[in-house]
Amino acid sequence: MANTIKLTIDGKEIHAPEGMNLIDAAELGGIHIPNLCYLKGLKGIGACRLCMVEVEGLKAPMIACTTKVKEGMAVRTKTEKVLETRKFVIDLILSMHPLDCMTCTKAGVCNLQNYAYDFEIKESNFTRKKFGFSIDEANPFIKRDPDYCVLCGRCVRVCKNQGTNVLEFMGRGVGSKVTTANDKPLHESGCTFCGSCVDVCPVNALLEADRWRRGREWDYDKVKSVCLLCGNACDISVSTKDSRLVKVNAGAADGSPEKYICAYGRFGFDCIEADTRVRVPMKRVNGQLQETTWEDALGIVAKEMKKAGENAGFITPAGILNEDALTLKRLASDAVKTKNVDSTASLYGDESTLLSGGADLESADLFVLVGLNPNQWKRALPALDATIRRRVNAGAKLITINSAEPNISSVAAVNLVGDEPETLRALVKAIMDKGIKADGELASAVSDAPVTEMVEAAAGLFVGAKNPVILSSPALYPAAANVTLLKGAAVSMPVESNAKGIILMGIKKEGKTYGEMTTEGMKLLYAVGEVPLSRRPSTDFLIVQTSHLTEIAKQADVVLPAAAYLEADGTIVDYLGRLKQLAKAVEPAGEARSHREIFVALSEAMGTPLKEAKESETKKLAKMKPVVAFNPFTRREELEGATNEIMQSMNMHVIDGSRLLWLTESEKALA
Amino acid sequence: MVVLNQKVLEEINRIKSKYHDSRSCLLPALYIFQREYGWLSPEALEAVGEILNIPKATVKGVSTFYAMFSHKPTGRHLIQLCTNVACMLMGGERLLDVLREQYGLEPNITTPDNRFSLVIMECIGACDTAPAMLVDTDFHGNLTGEKVIDILEKYK
Repeated sequence: MANTIKLTIDGKEIHAPEGMNLIDAAELGGIHIPNLCYLKGLKGIGACRLCMVEVEGLKAPMIACTTKVKEGMAVRTKTEKVLETRKFVIDLILSMHPLDCMTCTKAGVCNLQNYAYDFEIKESNFTRKKFGFSIDEANPFIKRDPDYCVLCGRCVRVCKNQGTNVLEFMGRGVGSKVTTANDKPLHESGCTFCGSCVDVCPVNALLEADRWRRGREWDYDKVKSVCLLCGNACDISVSTKDSRLVKVNAGAADGSPEKYICAYGRFGFDCIEADTRVRVPMKRVNGQLQETTWEDALGIVAKEMKKAGENAGFITPAGILNEDALTLKRLASDAVKTKNVDSTASLYGDESTLLSGGADLESADLFVLVGLNPNQWKRALPALDATIRRRVNAGAKLITINSAEPNISSVAAVNLVGDEPETLRALVKAIMDKGIKADGELASAVSDAPVTEMVEAAAGLFVGAKNPVILSSPALYPAAANVTLLKGAAVSMPVESNAKGIILMGIKKEGKTYGEMTTEGMKLLYAVGEVPLSRRPSTDFLIVQTSHLTEIAKQADVVLPAAAYLEADGTIVDYLGRLKQLAKAVEPAGEARSHREIFVALSEAMGTPLKEAKESETKKLAKMKPVVAFNPFTRREELEGATNEIMQSMNMHVIDGSRLLWLTESEKALA
Repeated sequence: MVVLNQKVLEEINRIKSKYHDSRSCLLPALYIFQREYGWLSPEALEAVGEILNIPKATVKGVSTFYAMFSHKPTGRHLIQLCTNVACMLMGGERLLDVLREQYGLEPNITTPDNRFSLVIMECIGACDTAPAMLVDTDFHGNLTGEKVIDILEKYK
């Protein structure tokens, strides 16, 4: 723990950790120091000159974002001199800023507007300056209008910090401009459209492209929820107006390296209103799917399930909520009386490879990435890629262990290319050679491992690290977790958002596996959610309970309309083992119901009514107790299927039903 | 199009060995490119980024920050004329008229025969010999109208 420094700000005594800047320290005491360019979690750059404060004993005012707390410091944030200087700065910025607050989308959340209000500046006292820069609105995601830009550099810094490096200041002084390398539109500049820049822009220079006349911040209802579109399960903040989705922002706390969402998370929500939504139940009549009532559909399904009994099978993606999973488990075992329930998680993991412990990424000073290839540009675990790059930019180190060099290797301190289990064995040996002791089993397993110079270097970093975190693919997790017998924590990265929760809720290998059910032929197959299947598996009867009319749904005998993500509340267990709460942002489309509501209704139709699983029940089950024990240094080859393919086919309905289609199509065109 | 010649590559590699990170090599590398090609074309900037493994946007950002880098083609010879205080007092601005009359030069303009480009500088550190100018990398001080023409006649 850092030492605590005692200082006073505006006469208020404040205890702040050593090394903290004055803006954050003031915030501890509930004092806001105005600023346009400061970003929590990033080093202050003193660009906007607004956060000026007076420090007792110093003649000139100080910039609060770049001044660190000192013992006994007396800071005053609202002296006449300070206020005058600040007013002058706002006045100057306003001389080059459009005064169209009455129609500006950012009104209400624009820092410049707020400060102008505070200082009662209606119009700038300086000559108006207009640059007439061109607007970049060639893409459906982000609108970039440099005429509104106040040159605070927040967007430039988040873009750099997460490693995307698309935006930069061009030129200098008053005529400088934030733009891309050759002043090209974003989609020709390697932009991933994660929208981190939109989240941090204090004015109207960077904005979601479709926001014009779709309401302003004060019109919105906001809920905190979680994105379910990949294994990262990022926190999101969802804004709705008149019961319709308007925008999604990153939801993690300011300053957290996890405050990031990708283009899927931010713009995929269009799919909620896509034409492909299933709004009413459907049944197959004379070879065609026809709309029907819930009562009819439930009756048919209940009858078929009774008939199939233990020969029925349930498959689900591992992105459904804990409560849905637990209710599904009950439906299968108590009403249908079958053991055949499994999720797509079994394609890449199981209890021993997915249920890892947690880890604190914010204090991690060393990451060891085993068999993973996160990539923001390819949108493979993009948030993990961004998180690691942000931590590396803050001083953490990265070691990659992979059979082929991963994309993120360019920011790694050491890249160990080769067979992962063998490399891990060598790493453990090298670490033990440096004096960290381990029990006999581990020691004898690594005693003959060949240690190269590179492994030696990696081991040096590990020994010197306080909080090393090992991030591994599930197939390599047992081998990778051996490292934690020496020090640190290990995390198994799932492909889907709730893979860990699904297993904790009891959906794991009991009867037939997902693979077996989709290939061996079942009497009845019940597919929950958007399973990655495009062709109907051999089965006498196929039920698809889905939010979108996917390829597999088109081939079903009965289609039940299910609530999509953002339309149901509940919980999941994320990759770090954290129980995360999802809030319903909008009501389900048409007659769609949540998965668990449908399961309960079915159980009633079968004459064995079940109770819906409650959050109090799932919470109890959601605790992981990973066993820390030695495992042989081997890979679980059967779990190394094509994880990216699973992901892609599972999110197909999201991409096809949203503006993300533009992105994939334009990427195809460029390639 | 930038054709990377061996000399440039060797020079940049020599710079690389002098610094411990590639960002530190950026300015020297940009100077080499400007010297070799007369200006920094978008292709040149891209090439610098690739050689040094620095994002394109960063390269462009740095190069546009410094006034000494040119982002449009220049003539065979670059005249950098100072009109800052000392040079102005000693008649630097009159030299501008001479350049205009003799060669049709204006600030930031290249002559149609591609012989000269003119840039107005804010002090080239030669106040003691004001008015002064740089032609390419050659320094010339204590200038008069006639002297300027005499000097420039040597640059074809």
